[in-house]
Amino acid sequence: MTTTFPFEAETDSDELKTVGTGAVRIDGLDKISGAAEFVDDMDFGPGLLHAAIVESPHAYARIVSIDTTEAENAKGVVRVVTGKDFPYKFGMYMEDRYIFAQDHVRFVGEQVAGVIARSHREAVQAAKLIKVEYEVLEPLLDPKSAVADDADLIHPDLGSYTHVPWFFPKADTNIAHWRKIRKGDTETAFAEADFVLEDTYTVPRYAHCAIEPHVTVSKLDHADRLTVWTASQSPHTQRHLFAEALAPLGFTHKDVRVITPYVGGGFGGKAGVSMEILGAAMATLVKGRPVKLRFTREQEFYNTYQRQGVVAELKIGVMNDGTITAVEHKLYWDAGAYVEYGANVVNAAGLSATGPYRVPNISNDSLCIYTNLPPGGPYRGFGYSEFHFGLESHMDRIAEAIGMDPVEFRRKNAIVEGDELSYGAHMNPSGMIEAIDRVAEAINWGVEEESENPNTVIGKGVACFWKAPAMPPNASSASFLKFNEDGSINITVSGMELGQGYLTVMAQIASEILTVPVEKIRVETPDTDRNPYEWQTVASHVTWSSGLAVEKAAVEARAKIFDVIHQVYGYEDDSLYLENEAVRCTTDPEFVKPLRDFVIDGIQTEEGTWRGGPIIASGKFMPEFTNANSDPETGQGGHPNVHYTVGCTGVVAEIDKDTGRVWVRKAALAVDAGRAINPDLVKGQIVGGLVQGLATVLYEDMRFDEGGKMLNPNFTDYKIPTAFDIPDEVIPIIVEVPQPDGPFGARGVGEHTMIAAAPVIANAVYNALGIRIKSMPVTQEKIAMSYLETRSG
Amino acid sequence: MVIAKEFEYQRPSTIEEAAQILAGHPGSARVLAGGTDLVAWLRDDAVAPDLVVDIKAIPDLHDISLEGDILHLGSLVTFSDLINSDIVHERAPLLAEMAETVASTGIRNRATMVGNICSAVPSCDAGPVLLGYDTTVHLIGSAGARSIDINDWFVGLRETARTGDEIVSHLTMQVPPHGGVYVKLMRYAGEDLAQAAVGIVAYPGDQYRVAFGAVAPKPFRSARIENALQGKPLDEALIAEVVAMVADEIRPIDDIRATAAYRTRICEVMLERGLPAARDRLNGIGPAYGTRLI
Amino acid sequence: MEVTVKVNGERWDIDVAPADVLLDVLRERIGVKSPKIGCERGDCGSCTILLDGKTVRSCLVLAVEVDGQEITTVEGISYESLSQLQNLFLSNNAFQCGFCAPAIVLSATELLDNNPNPTRHDVQEALAGNLCRCTGYEPIIEAVLAAARGGAK
Repeated sequence: MTTTFPFEAETDSDELKTVGTGAVRIDGLDKISGAAEFVDDMDFGPGLLHAAIVESPHAYARIVSIDTTEAENAKGVVRVVTGKDFPYKFGMYMEDRYIFAQDHVRFVGEQVAGVIARSHREAVQAAKLIKVEYEVLEPLLDPKSAVADDADLIHPDLGSYTHVPWFFPKADTNIAHWRKIRKGDTETAFAEADFVLEDTYTVPRYAHCAIEPHVTVSKLDHADRLTVWTASQSPHTQRHLFAEALAPLGFTHKDVRVITPYVGGGFGGKAGVSMEILGAAMATLVKGRPVKLRFTREQEFYNTYQRQGVVAELKIGVMNDGTITAVEHKLYWDAGAYVEYGANVVNAAGLSATGPYRVPNISNDSLCIYTNLPPGGPYRGFGYSEFHFGLESHMDRIAEAIGMDPVEFRRKNAIVEGDELSYGAHMNPSGMIEAIDRVAEAINWGVEEESENPNTVIGKGVACFWKAPAMPPNASSASFLKFNEDGSINITVSGMELGQGYLTVMAQIASEILTVPVEKIRVETPDTDRNPYEWQTVASHVTWSSGLAVEKAAVEARAKIFDVIHQVYGYEDDSLYLENEAVRCTTDPEFVKPLRDFVIDGIQTEEGTWRGGPIIASGKFMPEFTNANSDPETGQGGHPNVHYTVGCTGVVAEIDKDTGRVWVRKAALAVDAGRAINPDLVKGQIVGGLVQGLATVLYEDMRFDEGGKMLNPNFTDYKIPTAFDIPDEVIPIIVEVPQPDGPFGARGVGEHTMIAAAPVIANAVYNALGIRIKSMPVTQEKIAMSYLETRSG
Repeated sequence: MVIAKEFEYQRPSTIEEAAQILAGHPGSARVLAGGTDLVAWLRDDAVAPDLVVDIKAIPDLHDISLEGDILHLGSLVTFSDLINSDIVHERAPLLAEMAETVASTGIRNRATMVGNICSAVPSCDAGPVLLGYDTTVHLIGSAGARSIDINDWFVGLRETARTGDEIVSHLTMQVPPHGGVYVKLMRYAGEDLAQAAVGIVAYPGDQYRVAFGAVAPKPFRSARIENALQGKPLDEALIAEVVAMVADEIRPIDDIRATAAYRTRICEVMLERGLPAARDRLNGIGPAYGTRLI
Repeated sequence: MEVTVKVNGERWDIDVAPADVLLDVLRERIGVKSPKIGCERGDCGSCTILLDGKTVRSCLVLAVEVDGQEITTVEGISYESLSQLQNLFLSNNAFQCGFCAPAIVLSATELLDNNPNPTRHDVQEALAGNLCRCTGYEPIIEAVLAAARGGAK
């Protein structure tokens, strides 16, 4: 309606053969046989050095001195490193970070020094010998304290930091970025509303807990070329950040190579650059030798990105007929000590904090606030899970107050195609109503269920969700494609196989267009020297963006194939089509030319000369309709988000009145994938994301002491789901309202499936027991003790 | 992963030899059985022995056998052994019920029940259950053999009556007809340490042993609750009476796992649900062993 | 100290220090990479191996302890051909990132070897010590139950 969507591929037949099927993952055999190689599995020979990191025990302190003498002389030590070796700032969206701490440490666990030694044991032993003297300062451990007028400045030089033009830091405060949305007239709207509800919701920090810890091996060779093997979601962005961070040492992008094999789970935690810079930087000091840095599980918890906490102050006004007229949503983010990546989480949330609803009057504020806690960063959902907790709890409460069914209330206000978004642009086609309806049906909404167990009560809850990829407006994807002698295909991309099935989906797209079976298509993991650019595998955008790039490459390859046929046989291009790995012709039904016959060798003409040769192709995609223009005071005027994916979650929960234990008996989750290129993999995201989301609300519980030290950096006390902790039944529902500019209509779903899990439980608990819990996690303890209070009056 | 501080290792072939080795390294040697506690402590730098003494080569420590009403459990019997033992299922299924709540299969295949009570962390699962039986711990030290009643075993926080050069050889437990429950508060359905636990054994004639775990520095029996129950058939009033005693009997702490208030509340719930279940199991009915009551 | 151990059918005589953890020795000295380093405390299960046929957490075993014993990992199971269980994991798209997969194959193999007719609860119990962050376990459980039913989906 408002913009022209740029590209739509055709296939030669109306019926799709591969797209839409549950093709077996092309990396499945590697993973099931033990062949799959992760970074820590790679061998680098006897010369491999090992690094260990010395960390700050204080949340906020000035570094007075560091004595490395004893460590330098310890057995097996090759080099000791401190911040003095790398006095440079860097960062993804804002340059506020150091490789090793400089004058100050800003969170417990921050890296202060590093030891490189010949064995892991020697590195760990020597690290203990480094003596650091600190002048301890008073830390700021929550966002509200950090924005108080008299709060100490965690980054006094904030005003001088380089940052992307669409961030608005407030110099001389701890506010690193402030996204404001002002639309319509909320003051009048609230005054005229029939009912207004205002309340505060609190969401703490969470950890990604990918089972593979962060790990990196880095080597600067004697020709001054730096190669870094990392478990990363973003090899090209890592290369970029390494080149930027190490630019003072003379590096540019051509001098840096990043290689990323399979990744054992990312969830956002392996996006951007977290600990990898330590390995890369240290390697520059031991030229010619590879250095491995592998984080322990403890370090994984407290010194890689965490999901930010937030205090959400929410006010919504409605009319008696259920129409939402105004939303005022203030999000105070506990963003941590460095926000170079996390500030974009705050930004993304701020743009969409109305939730998936039609709202004419909006006053939203999303503040990225420095605290002396671990750096916040990208985590599946990117700010949306955090604000949906309060928002979807609030929706239920309003519905009850005005006497309306919560599902009806959502249906009435659900955002649909063409509706205006917070920032002025318009909503893409999407199946929100269908998602709501199908979820409500799946959990038998409206029918109360009685428990057979006298100790338990059954409650039901629903919650909606939406999310758009949060990316710079020029985030791009590219792909190379080549054929082999047997008609098989290699595709090189720099998107990452995190487990979501990305490689398989790319293969399915190419397979559909080139009619080569998925089993004959290899999609190679990234090497920034060889694979073309991909911004990052984040934001649930690679099916869409990289899919378009692969689609274009496949279409180009097809065009080149037809061109060779045309040159040799004279058939017109528009009479040619592909079928079963061969070229066919509508005007000559007898014509069959198998691809394997010519995709390397070419075709010999009657004169004995050859035409064609290796069929190679490329494709790239960069959205050309997005921009990050926006008025800093109103957020209006831009088109920052490419499109939204929407959906709905519903649960039937059984709750023990005495213990507060929650069993999720049934969960239904509908997500509008546009087109599920591989429905099995979409279901994988539904089940996996739902379980991860349920964990955040039911028992994941990060704790810090008064000094800012994380108390449970291990799986003993930070509980993530086991095979016992899953719903009895999950009903995955794939809605398909095509994304007009998506490959075969697809859009992303990877993050969305966890977003509504927290509020849906809070709503089910209220439905069952009449208690409204406004802080996460909603643990069995909180439920039991809250319910006990209500019972004893 | 790496254990930073190195140590010596010996693997004696008799229990007497093991005791002599320990006697020769007072305060600086650690016994290694299943290793699921010790190796983690070594890696965490929580302990730094000069010598680790592996007792797994000592024969005759793996037995599970029955003589009349006395169950003999060798000190190297693992939690998996308990779960897979026909004798245990027939004569003391409560042991298997408790064993199934300990960690997971891969841990249970190594971790020994005796190791569990030697580590004696406040939340040790075996403690509240073994206290419900007439259990004796048999040890061999450099000075010879010794037996310790389970009621004298747990001395304090992570402290047992075992002295430095003694090795537990086996446990003996009286297993006349009885019914029991082990109820354990965990944060979710997956593996967890107990935040609170109740072990109840019901004997004929309305005799009960009631023990608590994870709500005091050591597992312990509540004489007050046991005496109140003694010889009286369970009914709602009696159960309410002893549930009201719980708060005064236990000494839970606030920590990151749970608050003292919640632990207390759940101990009340566990006792309330556990007593009838133990009695029913004594009478051959009641929920199947392994059913979670909370 | 000299340790003799069989790994996936091959005999190894290696010299290890008492403080060398079996997981590290397998990965770095013997070159078997499928047991993974995930938490170093026995909480995540990704280091699981079969030691004399039983699953153990190799991060909680010292290399010196396994003298004379036999170790099997997924490489050994896969060597001739994939097991029926592995084929079902594959065809069910049961895994995502694959980091936990080798360990889960072993835990599920142990279960089916000891209990050919497991209930859903039995399967959950057998897998409860193997953390998977990606899948939500459902497709894994279904594949194991299918294997128990003799391969019928």
